Amino acid sequence: MAGDPRFEMQIDFAAKELTVKLVYYGPALSGKTSNLRAIHWLGTSNACGDLMTLETKNDRTLFFDMLPITVSSGSGLKVRLKLFTVPGQVMHNATRRLVLQGTDGVAFIADSQRSEADANRESFLNLKCNLEENAIDPERIPIIIQFNKRDMASIRTDEELELIAQRSREPIYKAVATRGYGVMQTLRGLIRDTWTKLEEDHELEEKFGISPIHFMTEVEAKLKHDPGPRGR
Amino acid sequence: MTLDQTNAADIMMGDVVRLEDVLSRDSVTSVCKSFFGLFGLPVRVISHEGDLLADVHRDQPLCNYLNTLGNGERECARTVGVVRDLEHDVQTIVHPCFTGAVYRIVPLEYQGRPIGRFIVGPYVPAETTQPPESLLSIDESIDAATACAHFDTMPRVREHVAEEISAHLKGVLELLLFSGHRAQLASTMQVASVRENYRELAEKNEALKSSFEELKKLDQLKSTFLATVSHELRSPLTSIIGYTEMLESGAAGALSNGQAEFLGTIRNKADQLLGLISSLLDLGRLEAKSLDLKHEPIDPHALLSDLAATIVPTANRRNVSLDIQIGDETPKLWGDPVRLSQILLNLADNAVKFSDEGGMVTIRAEQGEIDAAGASGLGAALFTASRPAVLLTVQDGGMGIAEHNLSKIFDAFYQVDAGTTRVHGGAGLGLSIVKQLVDGHGGKIEVTSTLGEGTIFSVTLPAADEDA
Repeated sequence: MAGDPRFEMQIDFAAKELTVKLVYYGPALSGKTSNLRAIHWLGTSNACGDLMTLETKNDRTLFFDMLPITVSSGSGLKVRLKLFTVPGQVMHNATRRLVLQGTDGVAFIADSQRSEADANRESFLNLKCNLEENAIDPERIPIIIQFNKRDMASIRTDEELELIAQRSREPIYKAVATRGYGVMQTLRGLIRDTWTKLEEDHELEEKFGISPIHFMTEVEAKLKHDPGPRGR
Repeated sequence: MTLDQTNAADIMMGDVVRLEDVLSRDSVTSVCKSFFGLFGLPVRVISHEGDLLADVHRDQPLCNYLNTLGNGERECARTVGVVRDLEHDVQTIVHPCFTGAVYRIVPLEYQGRPIGRFIVGPYVPAETTQPPESLLSIDESIDAATACAHFDTMPRVREHVAEEISAHLKGVLELLLFSGHRAQLASTMQVASVRENYRELAEKNEALKSSFEELKKLDQLKSTFLATVSHELRSPLTSIIGYTEMLESGAAGALSNGQAEFLGTIRNKADQLLGLISSLLDLGRLEAKSLDLKHEPIDPHALLSDLAATIVPTANRRNVSLDIQIGDETPKLWGDPVRLSQILLNLADNAVKFSDEGGMVTIRAEQGEIDAAGASGLGAALFTASRPAVLLTVQDGGMGIAEHNLSKIFDAFYQVDAGTTRVHGGAGLGLSIVKQLVDGHGGKIEVTSTLGEGTIFSVTLPAADEDA
């Protein structure tokens, strides 16, 4: 599927508009929807659109959640970020694979509880497999990892995460998504890594005259509200 | 809404949303009618592509009057054209008409993109009390009094109220749009997920099918191997038995008692080996479906008395008594006499082998029937009635077979007691061959067993035609 325009970032040169797809992946109940809810609640209303959730009556994601964020930069370039979650339950694998189609970056939301270590690993392997099925190279797509639920008992300690972060290829973030801590740092990290990759692949600075630093400054300005204490 | 092969990713990215895809004309019209009923303001909804989705208005006497005047009609058409084609921006535009009325054009946006607009008006801002000069001078034949009278009947609303109610209508339409889009995405994803699941299952089925074919080939190979090996083993063994018999008969000189005893043992063991090899050969042929069965009428009395003659010495050695019963109405069987004897001998031999010292084995032949329909009688109406048959049962009072083993005893090489300290011999081929032979005759074999009480094998075989 490589080379198929459907599976690349959408660029509309005439409208000077970019559409970037970001997917929140992870095991069931790790807090993917909570991340989107928190972003929707913390983000400024002129950037964030309505949060669309497609869930069953007991709050389990059925297909996906979607949150559109629009960043209109000073250079006249309009960037539409579309944040998606996937359903975490094992049985919804086909839906996860569909949602993952054409993604530009992935935030993997892991559960910090020790008891969930296996579920995290399994879900990550599933992510790798589904990326490959969608002809996306897992080695090349930006992936960041968020250890969520830092407020729970029996979690991996900060020291452990420190060690994990040292040998991890993916940047590690910490969060309590239900209270909004760390979600914006995670999102900014994801946008930064994704933009860096898009810049490498598509030379956006040359085409649209917007440098990565400039773009991130715009994003920071648009998404400035965040009461969370520490991210990385 | 189209749910064809459209790529789910495209739809999820929200870039194919068109007003008319997610909002039905009827629902938009009914919202606009309600708006018109409440506020008396005309409203039109137009998609980004320029399609008119709803148009709710009442002809204004002023407009009707102006349309009877040459300049009035021209100017009116021009204004309406400008309003309809106005380059829409993200901002609301209030466009004036020469009559003093205004049109309010409100853009509809979805996920940061223009998707359509609605137009409220014409209405006269309540702040405007007098008809403007542009109305009264539009045509030289205009009657000022009539124009003024009609002007007074135009819908009126204060600008800030018009702004508020337009914002309200915008909110309602955008909510409808959001809900409609949500429903569209849900159904698209539903269909796409089902398709994706189906694709995945189909792939897995294909993989299963090819590994099944592979296994079938291997099984075939095993059968061929068994048949070949058995055949090759049998030839030298026949020579061994033949020469042993010649030695025993004194063809090579007189034998001492010890030599005769040893030769007896050699021949006995060679016979056992030949029996085993024959079984393997049978199994190979049966599995390869290459065993030809004769079909002829067989008298049950002759069958059972032959059986009794063969099995009695073994039974006597184990002190097991035999009870052979033949029902009065038992018809003749239809099949291969050698193979039917083999079936019964195998079952009877097992029954004797597994009976306790002093026990009894009952062998019975009686009239039975084979149900042509399935066991549950499913679809019985479509099948011919049951066919006449002979029911042969072999019952022992031995140790019995545990229920979880019952389904496996007909598998080749299966032994209920497969441990190294087995009390009973055998290669585990007997029942497998019996089952295949019974199947080959178009019959069926069943087994019931109670641990500690004994086992009953029931074989139903087709009966010969009455006149046979």
